Amino acid sequence: MSDALVIARGVRKGYGSGERRVEVLRDLDLEVARGEMLAVAGPSGVGKSTLLHLLGLLDRPDGGELLLFGSDVAALSVEERARWRNRRIGFVFQFHALLPEFTLEENVAMPLLIAGQPRRSALATAAEQIAAVGLGHRRTHFPDELSGGEQQRGSVARALVAAPELLLADEPTGNLDAANAEALFETFEELHLSRGLTSVIVTHNEALAGRCGRTLRLTGADVEVGCSRT
Amino acid sequence: MSVLGFLAGRYLVGLGRRTHVATVSAISFGAMALGAAALVVTLALLEGFQATIRAQLAEAGVHAVLRPTSGRTLPGGDWLAKLRARHPELEVRASSGGAVWCLGGDAAVPAELEAVDGLSRVEVNRVLAAQLGVGAGSELTIASPKLVLTPLGPLPMRRRVAVAAVSAMRPGDDRAVVLVPTRIGAALLDLGAPNTVELRARDVTQAWRVASVVQAELPKGVEVVSFAELNRPLLAALTLERAMIGFGVALVMAVAALNLLCNLALLAAEKRADVALLAAIGLPAARIRRLFVALGLGVGALGGVLGTLVGGVGAWLLDRTRALPLPRGVFIVSHVPFRVTPGAVATVLAVSLAAALLASLAPARAAARRNVLEGLRYE
Repeated sequence: MSDALVIARGVRKGYGSGERRVEVLRDLDLEVARGEMLAVAGPSGVGKSTLLHLLGLLDRPDGGELLLFGSDVAALSVEERARWRNRRIGFVFQFHALLPEFTLEENVAMPLLIAGQPRRSALATAAEQIAAVGLGHRRTHFPDELSGGEQQRGSVARALVAAPELLLADEPTGNLDAANAEALFETFEELHLSRGLTSVIVTHNEALAGRCGRTLRLTGADVEVGCSRT
Repeated sequence: MSVLGFLAGRYLVGLGRRTHVATVSAISFGAMALGAAALVVTLALLEGFQATIRAQLAEAGVHAVLRPTSGRTLPGGDWLAKLRARHPELEVRASSGGAVWCLGGDAAVPAELEAVDGLSRVEVNRVLAAQLGVGAGSELTIASPKLVLTPLGPLPMRRRVAVAAVSAMRPGDDRAVVLVPTRIGAALLDLGAPNTVELRARDVTQAWRVASVVQAELPKGVEVVSFAELNRPLLAALTLERAMIGFGVALVMAVAALNLLCNLALLAAEKRADVALLAAIGLPAARIRRLFVALGLGVGALGGVLGTLVGGVGAWLLDRTRALPLPRGVFIVSHVPFRVTPGAVATVLAVSLAAALLASLAPARAAARRNVLEGLRYE
């Protein structure tokens, strides 16, 4: 049996109907091994985010087979998909990193609160996670009191607070300057290794993509898989 | 506190950070409060007037009537004497009688004579007073079917009496009635067992209970008509009045609820990205729906509670300070009465909650069904 955490076989996804239909992903085959760090690169509109949304159970494929953690996601109910997103998958988005009405600590604790954990212990776990991304001194700050880089580090802390197996990041450095992007990526690498994560990171930044174990390059017509480093 | 309570509470408190939504929310809150206050004050006003009317009815009228289940007379025996002995708190007036003619001025009208136990003067009811044109201090002649022999042959027995008072009408009774002491009645008619017995509590606040108190002690062939049954048409009209006016004023709550609906729709649109983010990190659609229902209940129900409180205290103060006087001699009360009842408060709170809940459902449903990916892309 394969050790892959993610297995996609002939996955298709398109939008619209009739003549207006656009096929974004066509017969995509992909395996992501447990513990692997995969970069997904390619020009805009080739389906990078679409792939991430499929892997993150935010969308459903039109065809093909998608297995996560050894299970076919097509068989999951809406509630199970929500539970998996809460406990087994961590997300980092380019925009809307944090909820504006809540402190950094509360934002990071949110997945645990959704899971039903008592507030006190959720906040304690969140505080540890915030310290792990180097923002211990900003714990009680609201998002509008944090810089863009700090907000993204906060969203990384939130993505990892429930100890997920799979981390998905959609252009996490897209809004950051080079120094902040570098710092954030270092955090990613460190946490990926220290926690034995499986990570899929969508990025336009070729330099950062090159630092991942493997790069999946979507071109619109074909899929190229390259090994960036061993 | 659950995560939904935490989220809803923070969104409500955090409204102050976003001026336009905060303003609209404040308007929704104020509208619900105003609607609830208007409803409480209106119900208190209606209850105030109606309680006064009910008290007047109890003060002036009979609290229960015993009558035969069949025939014209009540069964004999000592049950009436026992009833009197057992219930000193009740005034018991038995009356018997029959048909007579009453003559006054140029008119002669058929009437019902009632010889009333314990009555010491002659009274006519308003129908008879109007038909004969008599009032307190007038005289009238009562002619009975009993015949007396005269030099001119047999003639109906006649008795000239002075009218001491015009008595109030019994609800639903449009007969012409003359009330006389038992001795006059016995002289004019062959009085047998009483036709009816009127009961009156010395403590008028017990008027509603009189029928149930004596019910079990009545012999076969006697039925009791309660205070509520005696006054059924008027009481039904009062209930209908309260229901219709209450419903009319409750429409203010409906308008406030529509305002709340608009506010929640605006909030749902503004929080679109946040809701998508919450869904992405595992908050199921059903709980997103409940979150917006909680937000609606937060604004609507708190507004309703505040309005109920303000309206209730305001109505109490208006009554207590007699702030709205009425001209004496025109109205039976000296000031506009307000009476806040627990039932009215419960009704307004229930209406507030129901309105807030109904107003929340559509925005909550829309927020829960919104596409997560569109929300995440929304900037």
